[in-house]
Amino acid sequence: MDVSLQKDLMTVESLSWRVQDKSILNNVSFSVCPTEFVGIIGPNGAGKSSLLRCLYGVNVPTEGEVRIADKNILEYSRQALAQKIAVVLQEPPSRFELSVNDVIAMGLTPQKSLLSFDNHLDKQKVIEASRQVDLLDKLHQSFNSLSGGEKQRAMIARAIVQDTHVLILDEPTNHLDIRHQLEVLTLAKSLQVTVICSMHDLNLAATFCDRLILLDQGSIIAEGSPESVLTEANLNRVFDIKAKVDTHPFTQKLRITFDLGEHIDAD
Amino acid sequence: MRTSSMSASQTNTVLLREKQFFWFIVGAFLLLILSVFFAAGAGRAELTVVDLFQILFVCPGSSHECAIDAINHQIVWEIRLPRIMMAMITGAGLSICGAILQSVTRNPLADPYLFGISSGASLGAVIAMSIIANGVISVTFGAMLGGALSVVLMLVLAGKAATQVERLLLSGVAVSFMLSAFTSLILYYSSPEKAATLLFWMMGSFSNSQWHQLLLPSLFLIAAIILFTVYRRWIGAMQAGDESAQTLGIPVNQLRLFMLLVCAALTAVIVAHVGGIGFVGLMIPHIARFIVGAQIHRMIAMSLFLGGSFMIWVDVIARSLLSNQVLPVGIVTSAVGSLFFFIILKRRTKIIA
Repeated sequence: MDVSLQKDLMTVESLSWRVQDKSILNNVSFSVCPTEFVGIIGPNGAGKSSLLRCLYGVNVPTEGEVRIADKNILEYSRQALAQKIAVVLQEPPSRFELSVNDVIAMGLTPQKSLLSFDNHLDKQKVIEASRQVDLLDKLHQSFNSLSGGEKQRAMIARAIVQDTHVLILDEPTNHLDIRHQLEVLTLAKSLQVTVICSMHDLNLAATFCDRLILLDQGSIIAEGSPESVLTEANLNRVFDIKAKVDTHPFTQKLRITFDLGEHIDAD
Repeated sequence: MRTSSMSASQTNTVLLREKQFFWFIVGAFLLLILSVFFAAGAGRAELTVVDLFQILFVCPGSSHECAIDAINHQIVWEIRLPRIMMAMITGAGLSICGAILQSVTRNPLADPYLFGISSGASLGAVIAMSIIANGVISVTFGAMLGGALSVVLMLVLAGKAATQVERLLLSGVAVSFMLSAFTSLILYYSSPEKAATLLFWMMGSFSNSQWHQLLLPSLFLIAAIILFTVYRRWIGAMQAGDESAQTLGIPVNQLRLFMLLVCAALTAVIVAHVGGIGFVGLMIPHIARFIVGAQIHRMIAMSLFLGGSFMIWVDVIARSLLSNQVLPVGIVTSAVGSLFFFIILKRRTKIIA
C-alpha cells in the first residue's frame, strides 16, 4: 500500500449527526495524521459506528464536515471516495458461495471501469494481498468456510487491494478469540496506512493505538495518547466502572485492571 | 453463524477455478445444443437422426432437393424449431433474471415473478382476451402493459421504502396478490369456455410460437445479457452487503432499482408471449450457483445454458407425456422442477453434514 503524503490528512470539523430529532453525534472535531493508528473507544451507543459511517460517507453529517486532502468527502464522487477510504465492517456477510479470491477481488471495484476485465496485474494484486494476510493457500476456498479471524483477514486483504490511504475498521475484533484479535490488529498496524478503528477492548486499544478518541453520548470526552485518555477518572465517568490503570511490568504498555467489587455493569 | 462456519471449515470447501469453470460452461453449452436436436427430433412425427440432419443442415431451405417428406420438413422448421427457440429464450431469460434478482436483493427466494410481474401480465392478458377484441397481438400487448403496471404500482406503493430490500419485496408481493384478485374476478365472470382458454394461457404454453414472435423476446434477452455483463462487477460486490458495496463506491439503491426494471421488462415480454411459467427463475440460479459458484459472470453463463436446456426438455415432456394432448408447461415446470430441487437439496445436505 501507498504511504500517504503529508497533505492527505483526514479532518473532522464540528460534525453533528441527527436522526430526526435525536442527536447521535454532537460537535465532533479531530484530525488524523498519515500512518497514524487511531482508536475510537466508548460504551455501547456512544456513537462509534455512527461516527465511522460519517467518515466513510454512508452517513451524511447534519452539520459540519469530514475532509480528506482538504476537500469535503461529499464533494468526491463515490468512486473517488472509495479510492481514498477502505472499510472493514463488523460482520462480513455473504449468503452465497463466493471464494476468498472473489471477495478479495471486490477491492478492485473502485479502480476498474465497468467495461474492463481483470488483467494479469489485477490478479497479481489479489494474490499479493492474500499472501500478506496469510490466506494464499485458501484463495480458492469458499469464503463462508473460513473462521471468523480468517474472514476479517480476507476483508483486510480486500482493503489492501483497494489500495487506499485510509483504512477504517468497525470493531474488527468482535467475536474473535484473543489470538485472532491480536492477529487482525497486528496486521492492520503493519500496513503503514492511516487506520481508524473502533474497539471495545481497552487493553488492546492501549497496546495498538497511537492515539485514542473517547466518545460518550455522541461527544468527545477525551482525545490524545492512550496514557492521557485512559485515566481512572475518565473510565469511571464514561463506563461507570472502577478501574486501576498502571504500566505493565513486561510490555511497558498501559494496563487496565477492573475492580469488580462495587460496580458490575452489563457492558 | 460461528458454529456453521466452524463445521464448514473442516470440510475445506474448494470452489471451482477458472479453468474448471470453462469446461463446465462448454459442457452446459453442449447440453443446450443436444437438447435442441433432441427436441427437434422428438414428437409424434417420428424422424430418424439422418432425416433430421438432412432437414436441418443439408437442405434447410426446402425439401425439394433432398429425399425428405415435405411435411416432416415443415413440421421441423415451422412448428418445432420456433417452439424450441421460444422455450430456450424463456428458460434462459427467466433464469438470468432470477440469478440477478437473487444477487441484488441477497434473497435466495427472489425470482422474476416475485414483484407481481406475472400477475400483472396475466391481468393484462386476461383483460385483452376477454374484454378487448381477441387477437394474438393484443394479448401480448396487454400482458406487457400489465407487467409494466405491476412494477410501477410496486414502486409507487413502496415509495421511499424502495431503498430497503425487504420493503420492496413485500410491496411486490402485495401488488402480486392485488392483481391476482382482479384476474380471478374477471375469470369468475367469464363464460366457461373463455375461462378455460384464459387458464390454459396463464399456465404457460409454447404451442403457438412462430418465428416472427421470437424477435421481441430475443432482443430483450440480448439487451439484458449485455447490461448484466456490464454491471457484473457491481452486482457481484452487492452480494457482500449494501454497506460493504457502498464503501466500494457502488450506487447501491440506484443499481438495484435499475436491475429490477431490466428484469421486469424481460420477464413481462416473456410472460406476454408464453404465459406464466414459474419456478425456473427461482430454481435454475440455485443449480447454477451450486455448480459454478456465485460469481456473477459464471452465474449468467451457466443460468443461460441450463435454463434454456431445462425449458426445452420441459416442453418436450409437456407435448409428449399425454398422447393427443399438450400439457400446460407451467404444470410440468413446477412438477419436474420441485422434484429436481428436492434431489439437489438432499445431496447438498449430505455434503454439508
